[in-house]
Amino acid sequence: MKFTASAAAALLFAGTVASLQTSAQTLDDLKNDGKNPDNILTYGMGYHQQRYSALAQVDKKTVKRLVPVWNLSLDNNWGEQAQPIVYNGVMYVTNARATVAIEVASGKQIWRQTLDWPPETPRVVCCGVSNKGAAIYNGKVYRTTLDAHVVAYDAKTGKEIWKSKAAEWKDGFSLTVAPLVANGVLITGISGAEYGVRGFIDGWDPETGKQLWRHYTIPARGEKGNETWPQDNNAWQLGGGSAWITGSYDPDLDLMYWGIGNPAPWASQSRPGDNLYTSSVLAMRPKTGEVVWYYQFTPNDAYDYDACWELILAELNVQGKPRKVAMQLNRNGFLYVLDRSSGALLSAKAYGKVNWASHVDMKSGRPVETDIAKSIRAAKATEHWPSTRGAKNWEHAAFSPQTGLLYANTLHEGRMYKHLDIKEHKVGERYMFIENLPLPRSAGEPIGHIEAIDPLTAEKKWSVPLTDFQMWSAMLATGGGLLFTGKETGEFIALDADTGKQLWQFQTGSGINAMPVTYTHGGRQYVTVLSGIGGLYWNIAREQLKDKVPQGGSVWTFALMPD
Amino acid sequence: MLARLASIAALVIACGPAAAQTPEQVKTGADIYERNCSPCHGARMLDPQGAADLKKFPHDQRERFVNSVTRGKNQMPPWGDLLKPEEVAALWAYVVSAEGISGH
Repeated sequence: MKFTASAAAALLFAGTVASLQTSAQTLDDLKNDGKNPDNILTYGMGYHQQRYSALAQVDKKTVKRLVPVWNLSLDNNWGEQAQPIVYNGVMYVTNARATVAIEVASGKQIWRQTLDWPPETPRVVCCGVSNKGAAIYNGKVYRTTLDAHVVAYDAKTGKEIWKSKAAEWKDGFSLTVAPLVANGVLITGISGAEYGVRGFIDGWDPETGKQLWRHYTIPARGEKGNETWPQDNNAWQLGGGSAWITGSYDPDLDLMYWGIGNPAPWASQSRPGDNLYTSSVLAMRPKTGEVVWYYQFTPNDAYDYDACWELILAELNVQGKPRKVAMQLNRNGFLYVLDRSSGALLSAKAYGKVNWASHVDMKSGRPVETDIAKSIRAAKATEHWPSTRGAKNWEHAAFSPQTGLLYANTLHEGRMYKHLDIKEHKVGERYMFIENLPLPRSAGEPIGHIEAIDPLTAEKKWSVPLTDFQMWSAMLATGGGLLFTGKETGEFIALDADTGKQLWQFQTGSGINAMPVTYTHGGRQYVTVLSGIGGLYWNIAREQLKDKVPQGGSVWTFALMPD
Repeated sequence: MLARLASIAALVIACGPAAAQTPEQVKTGADIYERNCSPCHGARMLDPQGAADLKKFPHDQRERFVNSVTRGKNQMPPWGDLLKPEEVAALWAYVVSAEGISGH
């Protein structure tokens, strides 16, 4: 579809009408997110998490006039990973330390609420002291805290309305996830699988903060699925299964899709069996937490192949038939396409270098493990692809319904991986028991790519190799034929979605490992991204990056320079 | 390597035999290191990635090591409420041990 000027005008008009309505955002607003371009109300820019906007003022031709219109410091050195929420001219951003409301037109700070947590808390945070963003509903802004609480603020004033404790951080639990509001329930997933917790997803009353339900990702004794854990030890109680990336949601099916994390410990000797529902997707009812179907990507995961990543919802033509699908570029190296009403596996193709499995058996839906997997399971130091960090990490992909392609920052990394002897569990301490050492790299071999990927074949329409630093920023695709993403070295970049060619860049002053968004205000298209190096890649590559990139969080907003 | 040997020699001379690390201490330290420290400082101190390279930690700065572990330093959280002083001492024993140095 070609996005015309009149279509843009219609969208802008729709946006104006919507913003004249003064009522607070409703479930319908959330469901229709993406249709009113003035607002971004959901994680992923729509319940489907496509991270696609039809906006086309900024396109391949005009992008050269894209300039910053404001910048606001977030006074934070821990790193910025969040996706901004935008509602009626106000932007809400979060990091581990604060929640900030900002006037979109001017960049002026409206309110700021800081959070305090004990300095020991980062001990139970494996992969970056951060926060993925807020949720908004009925006049309130919701977020999670590092020390495992969920908070509601008044969207206008920032006043705290309620704060509920999800779990005790000293027991190994933390929260960094952006909450999901679906069918009137506020939903959060927990982190902590590296500490031997038993993971769960919680449903909260958005008005009061009362817990409505808790669904453990690992079934208890006597519940269906527990038979996939040893019956003669307590491995299931220490079994991991975090849920640290926001689920997507199909309001028509009333199903939300949460990716479930790795089992604990990473070394697998103590937990023979499939270990449901770790490294799986759960299709759940938001009202009750009931699981309608599941699919397990990596049974008896021995590799930290966490399946938390975004499950992108779209309509795809599969063998001549339109199918409602959920797609995931799984950490284990395979790109999965599932029928999202039934969980039936439609496709699973390798999109990166994989040596632990040869393929996914389409009949059983299970990966077929190789001798490499046998060697790892025999506790031998083994060259392992993709490494535990995956063929893609959390940095979210975008899907363009215009091109039918996924766009992603992928990783190309193997490591020397070894299981160690499993020792006793100590509450609130690491529970992994592995060694993971670097492999020698041949000169010029890429460490990651920016790629356009066909969902059903996993073939690359184009692929841009990265040889200096990996990219750990989410992707944004637009109707202007552009992709926006960011580099750890600070450049915010726009690429031609047809070729991967870089068309524009701006140095934001710190590394980018966050989620860009685009929206309109007063008829102008804006693009916003948080800058502020942090997260797992900063932990990994700090030695190489520290002299190149200063820390320090801020919000950058861009628009076209008027003629 | 020579410099490292020299610094070990200096430490031994400075502290005298009373401060020698026992094999039990080194073993305890290695276990604590494997569980709590290796995720950031790398397996057997071989792959420090973004964290301090403990193989390069000066062996004559025991107090700085103990303070950093106990109270936290830069991105590292404090461990003083979790690790007992003798456990921090065991970690130090591991860091300065031949085992720590050779990466085994």
